[in-house]
Amino acid sequence: MEKTGGKYDFSLYEFHNLLHQNILVSYKGPIDERVMTVIGENIEILTNDGNDRTKSKIFKIFMELAQNVWLYSAESCKTMSGKQLGMGTLVIGEFGDYYTFVTGNMVKNTDVEPVIEKCEIINSLDRDSLREYRREQRRLANQGKKNSGNIGLIQVALTAESPLDIELTPVSEEESFFSLAVKIKKKTVKE
Amino acid sequence: MELEDIVIEGSHKNFFTPSVNFNAKTGICELSGESFLEDTAEFYKPLIDWLVEYTEKIKKPIAFIIKLTYFNTSTSRCILDLLNVLKDYEDEGGEVVVNWHYDENDSDMEEDIEDYMIDTGLNINIIPF
Repeated sequence: MEKTGGKYDFSLYEFHNLLHQNILVSYKGPIDERVMTVIGENIEILTNDGNDRTKSKIFKIFMELAQNVWLYSAESCKTMSGKQLGMGTLVIGEFGDYYTFVTGNMVKNTDVEPVIEKCEIINSLDRDSLREYRREQRRLANQGKKNSGNIGLIQVALTAESPLDIELTPVSEEESFFSLAVKIKKKTVKE
Repeated sequence: MELEDIVIEGSHKNFFTPSVNFNAKTGICELSGESFLEDTAEFYKPLIDWLVEYTEKIKKPIAFIIKLTYFNTSTSRCILDLLNVLKDYEDEGGEVVVNWHYDENDSDMEEDIEDYMIDTGLNINIIPF
């Protein structure tokens, strides 16, 4: 279809079509509790296929990953009141019998290695071992021995019941774009 | 100085504050609702301190009742701290009962509670609703 107009270097129609297939909600920008409330509510409405278990899982995953972007994104901005907000992208898509939730944000190359390692560990563990890993990491965090930001990632893998699909794309010498996707199967009530 | 009750009304705005009712006379301590806070440690510290003070000064039985429908990982760390205070008290001879009510369809929550039992060594009564 021919691009009409041509006044702007950006075709919103093409962008819309890019997003339209399978994508329920997408957001790119700063994240704080107010943004999380609005997106959270939208997600709740749009994943309302009659199953509370699936909705509850998506919500839990969203809360952890959104807050991770807010706190740890290398790209951030300041509100008028001086609050620092991490910036990133969140997308939730629906594909037949599952949903995919993806978040992405800039990271400093010097900071990202431990996160990748943690995801690899998480992906290598079976459910019982993952639960044990969460117990251990939580204990260590409470003893002041570890950064607790990564307990969220363990929780996401447990809630999703699927691996963390991570991708790191170098952008510059100092930074890369880090994305994390999880698949959430639609559940029937007694599953 | 007498230990005052803690009564916090829960709210669900952008952040989620749980409802808290810690009663120094009855020893019944209830934590319910949802927990997603701006400063989790700051919210839970007075609760943890209260339990420590109760177990050191009042030393009567405690019934700790949890009815949380949602809590984030930050909160889960503070829950561990609360339960560890109760376990220490039990180890010293204190009488402790922990009842955790949960949605029977929420198998994730059931696993969470089991993990807290493994972690703390406390016996938690898992009560479906």
